[in-house]
Amino acid sequence: MQTFHALRRNQVLLIVTVIIAALNLWLIYGVAPVVPKQEMAQKIFYYHVPLAWNAFLAYLLTAVGGVFYLKTKRTQWDAWSLAGAEVGTLFALLILITGPIWATPIWGKPWSWEPRLTTTLVLFLIFMGYFMVREFSGPYERASRYAAIIGIFAIIDIPLILWAVTWWAPEVQSHPQMEMAEHPSSILRVFFFSLFSFTLILIYLLLYRRHVANMEFLRLTQQGEVGDV
Amino acid sequence: MAFWTVFQKDLRLELRTRESLSTMVVFAAAVILLFAFAFEAAPARFQSFTPGLMWMTYFFTAVLGLLRSFGQEKELEAYSLLLSAPVDRSAIFAGKTMAFFIFLLLAQAVSLPLFALFLHLPLLAAPAYLIGILILADLGIAVVGVLISGMSLRSPAGETLLPILLFPLLTPLLIAASKATHAALNGRPVSEWDVWLMLMVSYLVLFAVAGTFTFDYISEQ
Repeated sequence: MQTFHALRRNQVLLIVTVIIAALNLWLIYGVAPVVPKQEMAQKIFYYHVPLAWNAFLAYLLTAVGGVFYLKTKRTQWDAWSLAGAEVGTLFALLILITGPIWATPIWGKPWSWEPRLTTTLVLFLIFMGYFMVREFSGPYERASRYAAIIGIFAIIDIPLILWAVTWWAPEVQSHPQMEMAEHPSSILRVFFFSLFSFTLILIYLLLYRRHVANMEFLRLTQQGEVGDV
Repeated sequence: MAFWTVFQKDLRLELRTRESLSTMVVFAAAVILLFAFAFEAAPARFQSFTPGLMWMTYFFTAVLGLLRSFGQEKELEAYSLLLSAPVDRSAIFAGKTMAFFIFLLLAQAVSLPLFALFLHLPLLAAPAYLIGILILADLGIAVVGVLISGMSLRSPAGETLLPILLFPLLTPLLIAASKATHAALNGRPVSEWDVWLMLMVSYLVLFAVAGTFTFDYISEQ
């Protein structure tokens, strides 16, 4: 199997992703107007919200990949599922870091039991369990099957967690995304460009991780630990 | 009726060994005493979070009971033999879930009075609602608990995996149960807190359906 960047389209994807990300940085700091009430703190919203949307996209991929993996037993689905879980958790970690950075000057405290932030935290914990299951459940075939099930359970749990946390503390303050409609279109345009940029980064990372996972599974197959790829 | 056979088998096993139930009751009592010592100073002030303490206690009690009851299955490969029975796997899932649900209810029946005695939880304020909440929450804990135990049972690190996996998955249910218990025991009208009942019912239905479909994959060799 070739390395990931041996393929021409992957090279192109990497270069495009880097250029768009650099352009995104310039747009955020050079072009987008500063919001008077929040000043520079508001800039984090261009990272935080796209990260959140993409993290949930990645987790959705984990669940969908998990369903197909359970049905077909083909490791290529497990590769998608694993890539979604790892990249999703990386993004979730970044959400949990950028959230408090934004909240410290705006809310005056780093953490509040804001529904989406809390949901992300619980999801992050579920996926810590997911990786432990993958690591500690013995042979690949069983570990991957269990991981697929945890990925599906996590997706089922998301709306319930969100529901519970929303009703649990209805008085907590709103989130940057809630105020999005109030922003002028010059900010929204930059925001959507940032969303596009982060989605590209997500796609690149997912493809890369999937490629590495497929190589691992190929090695397992050659050692006779997995049936068919 | 495969469901009934598995259910009876678990109950009979428990009746003869009393391993899970006695562990659960003694553990719950110990935790309640510990809370009572820790919060002795201001009993009136912690009234508002006793329902939360109560559900934390029963979460850990459930983990302990699951470990014990699946530990028995591990001995002499009993679980593998059970799974090799020519019946629908979902019947095994339902049977084990119902049996564990009964254990949980029994453990609570014994230990809840201690909450009233030591932590002044007003149990008799709304007994009918309390029983309803206990049934809903215990069913949810049993469904997800049996599913996750079926997985972690096979792995060498299973004992540590079970609480780590179970707690975040049960978060919405435990929040709902604590909130509903608090509201019910404080005599709030149902219309104010029925959202928590709906949440518990949705949780139960979703995971019961998901469990029935995935238990086959959980119990494959």
